[in-house]
Amino acid sequence: MKRKKWLASLGITSILAASILTGCSGSEETSKDEGSKDGSKKVEVSLAGWGGNPTEEKLLKQTLSDFEAKHPNIDVKLEIITEQYMDVMKTRLIGGKGPDVFYLDAFEAPGLIETGVIEPLDEYVKKDFDVEDFEKPLLESFQVDGKTYGFPKDYSTLALFYNKKMLQDAGVEVPKTWDEFREAAKKLTKDKVYGYGVAPELARMFWLAQSKGGDVVKDGKANFATKEVEEAIKPIIDMHNVDKSAVEPKEVGVTWGGEIFGQQKAAMVIEGNWAIPYLKDTFPDVDYGTAEIPAVGDKKSTMAYTVAYVMNAASEKKEAAWELLSYLTGKEGMETWTSKGYALPTRKSVAEKLGYDKDELRGPLVAGAPYATVWAEGSNLPIIVNNFNNQFMSAFLGKTPLDKALKEAQKQANSEIESK
Amino acid sequence: MKKKMGIGKLLLYTILVLYALTTIIPFLWALSSSFKSLQEIVSGGINFIPKNFTLGNYKTIFIEEELFPRWMFNSLFIAVSVTLLNLLFNSMAGYALARLNFPGKKALFIGILGVLMIPAQVTMIPNYLILKELGWLNSYQGMIVPAMINATYIFMMRQFFVNFPKELEEAAELDGLGKFGTFFRIVMPLAKPALAAQAIFIFMGSWNDFMRPLIVMTDAEMFTLPLGLNTFKGQFVSYWNYIMAASMVFTLPVLVIYAFFNRYFIKGVSFTGGK
Amino acid sequence: MRGKSSKKALREAGQGFLFMSPALVVLLLFIIGPILFVVFLSFHKVQLLGNVSFDFVAFDNFKRLLDDTRAKIALWNTFKYVIIVVPCQTLLALILAATLNAGLKGQTFFRIVYFLPTLTSSAVLTLIFMWMYNKEGLINKLLDFLGLPTYNFLGDPGIALNAIMAMNIWSTAPFFMVIYLAALQDIPDSLYEAAELDGANALQKFWLITVPQLRPVTSFVVIMGLIGTFQLFDQSYIFSAGSGGPDNSTLTVVLLVYQYAFKTLGTMGYAAALAFLLAIVILTATLIQRKFSKEESLY
Repeated sequence: MKRKKWLASLGITSILAASILTGCSGSEETSKDEGSKDGSKKVEVSLAGWGGNPTEEKLLKQTLSDFEAKHPNIDVKLEIITEQYMDVMKTRLIGGKGPDVFYLDAFEAPGLIETGVIEPLDEYVKKDFDVEDFEKPLLESFQVDGKTYGFPKDYSTLALFYNKKMLQDAGVEVPKTWDEFREAAKKLTKDKVYGYGVAPELARMFWLAQSKGGDVVKDGKANFATKEVEEAIKPIIDMHNVDKSAVEPKEVGVTWGGEIFGQQKAAMVIEGNWAIPYLKDTFPDVDYGTAEIPAVGDKKSTMAYTVAYVMNAASEKKEAAWELLSYLTGKEGMETWTSKGYALPTRKSVAEKLGYDKDELRGPLVAGAPYATVWAEGSNLPIIVNNFNNQFMSAFLGKTPLDKALKEAQKQANSEIESK
Repeated sequence: MKKKMGIGKLLLYTILVLYALTTIIPFLWALSSSFKSLQEIVSGGINFIPKNFTLGNYKTIFIEEELFPRWMFNSLFIAVSVTLLNLLFNSMAGYALARLNFPGKKALFIGILGVLMIPAQVTMIPNYLILKELGWLNSYQGMIVPAMINATYIFMMRQFFVNFPKELEEAAELDGLGKFGTFFRIVMPLAKPALAAQAIFIFMGSWNDFMRPLIVMTDAEMFTLPLGLNTFKGQFVSYWNYIMAASMVFTLPVLVIYAFFNRYFIKGVSFTGGK
Repeated sequence: MRGKSSKKALREAGQGFLFMSPALVVLLLFIIGPILFVVFLSFHKVQLLGNVSFDFVAFDNFKRLLDDTRAKIALWNTFKYVIIVVPCQTLLALILAATLNAGLKGQTFFRIVYFLPTLTSSAVLTLIFMWMYNKEGLINKLLDFLGLPTYNFLGDPGIALNAIMAMNIWSTAPFFMVIYLAALQDIPDSLYEAAELDGANALQKFWLITVPQLRPVTSFVVIMGLIGTFQLFDQSYIFSAGSGGPDNSTLTVVLLVYQYAFKTLGTMGYAAALAFLLAIVILTATLIQRKFSKEESLY
């Protein structure tokens, strides 16, 4: 008797579940249609991006509601993809159901533009949008063959973050050149504190690798197994293995540079704007300063990372999508978005208005913008990066000589590029 | 003789307790972290007792994250539906593969094993395309229907049924029960331990599933818990305090289900005891 | 032909399909369908994004596998992983289950505690392992105390692979333990009683009754273990930030499949071919396992 009851309830619930399934989709459809009843047709534009911290999300929502207030006929649907952003985005774009407007990192841009899924924006641009206002190198990373495919929404460069107290205790000045930097790191290393918390990956070292005249990528192929590049990045390896003044975050049980710096396990790190709010929120007691990255020789250099808003070429609401895109990257929208300093504005006029060049911590980051190398280099960069990181780590840990590691990585990268 | 037994038992218990420690410590650590502030967690200390005990993390999740109840409902609704459907359909299929004779059975069995061998990374895109064609993106059925059977547990149920004594089924058939009658009235009640194991795993699998909702669900209102909670993990900053509190809230239902079904793993409940 | 028995067989076949039908429908639509699509892809050079193109290239993708050194390394790494992890986790699961089924005091408590690793989310586990494994972490402190050399468990994936193995065994064993626990309930008591009359001790009973009776379930556990470990992805992805380095030491086949499917555009066909190679390897391993385990004559 008991058994029967048990089985019966199982059967009933499963039927119930099945019937609910079929019912659910219907209700959603109807709610969507209601918007169009009141004469003026309402358009819904979807916008996809990755998540940020709560403050950033509030800023974005603020910007979007400002936009909706000004465009009563457009509704913005925000889609947050919290993990594996590009994988999910590629999948959705393949289905032709991608969002109308979405974030695109400069690093991924050339490859995606090549496939034709991104709408060129030139014919939408009107004069008052003021394209000239954008920092040129940042805008250029979304331009292919004279066409513009996206407008950068914000950026960050890299700067040197140093722990004021540690430098003072060790009697070290803020290093201005790469040689001074190496010496300073040596002096700062003591009692389980390392001089330099390094991120041994190409994205963070690209500027260094190119600093002695070498080209990491040439004609779309890996070209880093050269004397110039090897010589330029050798110091990183020596600092880790010879001086023992550099350490990678994982070696001390943390995930990234901001954390190693915050826990005061490293006196110096090279990070971007993102580390500033992080340190303020999680390690408010750390007294630190920022400076431009020490120059190699007499040449200043740094990296710039930028993300643009782009439009889906398969979008069915391109006019409305452009309205949104141009508001977000326009003077007004950008000012709201960058107003709290979580991201730096890519428009010169907005930067001037917000005055980040005079900000004590952000000044050195802004100062780097004119001479920064944008992290983007053709559609084969992902393959090149992958192989470089894979082998460089081996040299960093002292398991393979650097020249051999670079040769191996270049060979593998180029064979993958050729057979593509 | 008696003393020797005592030492043996003592040794056994020592090993049991030691192993229990290795499994419980990470869990306790997560629990204690859920009562710490973010600053205390990232400062790198290894204290189990929070220096400044706070319920703030739980408060933030439950109160400030207004969609939290919705995510909880989505997760529960999907996991419960998926579990019930799986229990029924996997067992039926497993039984057919173990007991009934029909043409192509062998091929089917190998086929079911075979589909498990293709890594999900390559079927992700075609799966998405099919759901798109059906118009099931961003819907419950898009999550439930494709997951309502599971090749792994069809295989598991088959392995269980293979080992069942045939006599009871033969007797049932002599009594005039058809295959369906035999299956539902005799076989399924006997399979409680296996069904309990299956229920735990399927519920857990659905509850923890991350990739499928990540791709299928676009609206924040349709997110499941793991997806929603992942928003606490920023690009650079991970809000470990919230993540820990969330994962505690998140683990609890599965723990309850496990504790509940655990009683079917005690000798005597199944047919041998003749309850 | 028209005898009673053939009619009965026909009816049974019909019932068989009826029992299978829900599974078959879902399988065909959502699993076999996508797999066929992947088969199709593996013979083409495809660009799925934007300007979609499919060029039939016959076996080119498979030929390319032959001179892909990274594919070979990935296969070898995965193989090492499988060989160590599968036997360890199976044995551990069996021992845990048998112990916790012996009617000890407090077994419910232990059963729940032992299951915790399976329940704890991977984000939490990763964090805890980072905490225990780091240069100044718990394990190194212990090694140092014992006068043993310390390691950079996380930064040096040559060692990290072993750390991943330990973590995997520890967190997967409880999963299989539960299956064994369920299976142990189905062994008739009469078998043990008979053995006891013959004067068998606990260990003999375990080897002569428990182990053989669990054979079909062990077969399941081993095959699922093979599939799970051959498809190792998450941990090596996390530990190497997706690159499989250093020097390809954490590169697994599925990580490579993933790289070709998502990181580089236009190599989906090759990724599909690689996935097939893996499926064939797993299938072979499964068949070898079947031969060894001398399982039932039932198939």
